[in-house]
Amino acid sequence: MVRSDQVTKTDTETQSPFIFRDGVIQTLLDLRVYRLAAIQKSAYRFAEQFTAVFDSPKEERLPIRCIFAPTVTEQDALETLRLFFQELLDQELREQVGDETRALRALIVAQAFSRTDLIRQD
Amino acid sequence: MFHDRARYQSTQGYQLAPVRFSRLDAARYVVTNDAGEYVVLSRQELVDFIGHSLPPDRPTYQALKSRHFLFDAHSRVALELLALKYRTRAEQLANFTGLHIFVVTLRCDHSCAYCQVSRQAEGRLEFDMSQEHADRALDFMFRSPSPALKIEFQGGEPLLHFERIRYIIERAKAMNAVHGRALQFVIASNLSRLTDEVLDFCRVHGVLLSTSLDGPEDLHNAQRPVRGGDSHRRTLDAIQRARQALGPDGVSALMTTTHASMERVEDIIDEYVRQGFRSIFLRNLSPYGFAVRQRASRQYGVEAWVEFYKRGLAHILRINAQGYPLQEEFAAILLQKIFSPRGSTYVDLQSPAGIGIGALVYNYDGAVYASDEGRMLAEMGDFSFRLGHLSRDSYESIMTSETLLAHLSDTMPEGAPMCSDCAFLPYCGADPVFHQATKKDAVGHKAFSAFCKKQMGVLRHLIGLLEDDAQARDILMGWR
Ligand code: SF4
Repeated sequence: MVRSDQVTKTDTETQSPFIFRDGVIQTLLDLRVYRLAAIQKSAYRFAEQFTAVFDSPKEERLPIRCIFAPTVTEQDALETLRLFFQELLDQELREQVGDETRALRALIVAQAFSRTDLIRQD
Repeated sequence: MFHDRARYQSTQGYQLAPVRFSRLDAARYVVTNDAGEYVVLSRQELVDFIGHSLPPDRPTYQALKSRHFLFDAHSRVALELLALKYRTRAEQLANFTGLHIFVVTLRCDHSCAYCQVSRQAEGRLEFDMSQEHADRALDFMFRSPSPALKIEFQGGEPLLHFERIRYIIERAKAMNAVHGRALQFVIASNLSRLTDEVLDFCRVHGVLLSTSLDGPEDLHNAQRPVRGGDSHRRTLDAIQRARQALGPDGVSALMTTTHASMERVEDIIDEYVRQGFRSIFLRNLSPYGFAVRQRASRQYGVEAWVEFYKRGLAHILRINAQGYPLQEEFAAILLQKIFSPRGSTYVDLQSPAGIGIGALVYNYDGAVYASDEGRMLAEMGDFSFRLGHLSRDSYESIMTSETLLAHLSDTMPEGAPMCSDCAFLPYCGADPVFHQATKKDAVGHKAFSAFCKKQMGVLRHLIGLLEDDAQARDILMGWR
């Protein structure tokens, strides 16, 4: 999550809360909102669009630098970052699903290949 | 390890089943389960579903429940059913290896620019498969547990070594008197050497022919040069004769998409209709041989191919709507994966990869490869998919070789980054040779993978059609 005190509008037209400077956008992600696993998976998915460089977290906030290729325009970079934040939300949901269903998936796979019934009826 | 069902019951009204989801478009998500069933949800529905706040009286709730995406107190046998469906999909793996490719010669009379093997001049007999290697390969083939065995003859131009084909088919049939498998034979040929003797043999032994037809005359001849410059006419003549001898389905055709084809997908499809074919496989060029030798300006990216594919599919759907049944094979494979309880056995889209367990390739020189693409990669100097040699190795040592097992465990997409939580995973597969060729790594970083972009692009398009276009859905459902 972007902290409000981090928000600086670069130009009034894009109304973007991010600054694109020398091919890089820097921001902070709130680790109370996004799990580290969700952040890392999102960065992996966006590896073709930018390289994510993480610094050590400070007070539950993770500094991230998104480094774009030299040919990427500011407009494209800002749009990519918008999609990256959508992806973060998706990944966060996936982590929730994973936490809730991991044991069940193992049971279903075990049941599928077991000769005895592993799920006791009532 | 018995547990009460209650242990898996949520206190929040319903329990989520293990699911994966991916964006379908800007507003909707595809959600799949391990049995390969799918639903399409809006973002709000997805958030409600995962947050346990979907009211039971909503149609979405019922749809999710009936397809085992959630369990509630009334889902009595849902877990068992899901496990059963999962097993049905996985079971086909136990029947490996069904496809056995015999490269009977590397000699060829064509000089196609996109050829992916090192074709040899017609007189160079040292590039033919020996009888000794053919015998060993047949022994290997009958060791495989698959109840159905398909022998495909490849080259070069395999009909230049027809005597070896004849020998292999006759011997396979004789051996099968003991083994009792369902045998199928296919010769992949440019048909330039399709003599009456060959046709008679094919008719008597139930051999099918598969040839190349790249589109209308100018395009086909430009892509498939042969002395006389009339490959198209010769191919059509041969198809005609083959149909007369073997029946209308005795010969099938494959096309290869080059840079020159990109603007002409409708022309290519129309040519297939003109020649009476009922199916066409819109294939992209594999990253071997020709594709990597081409100048950058003659190559095309995966995004361009996906657009080519969508245009082609739209044209095929129009042709079907006008009353001519024409099936697109790539879509048909994916639809089987989506809707058939058993998925599809198409070798190039298996999970784990179809290499070795889906297909084995016996090269003219006795080398054994895990797939036809693995043989092509070897032509480029990368022997990652060479499993051994017919003269030196046993079937057991090849099937349990470190090379094969490492590739198989690497290509379980359930464990691969990005694939592990991708909704398209049950319909996708792994293509380790592609990733080895393009990234020098059999798993590949999927964010950069053209294979992944192609799969996602085509699957999103197909599911979008199934959801949004009733007429297209009717036609596509007939291809499963
Ligand atoms: S290769 Fe791509 S489309 Fe296929 S399962 Fe992996 S991430 Fe999904």
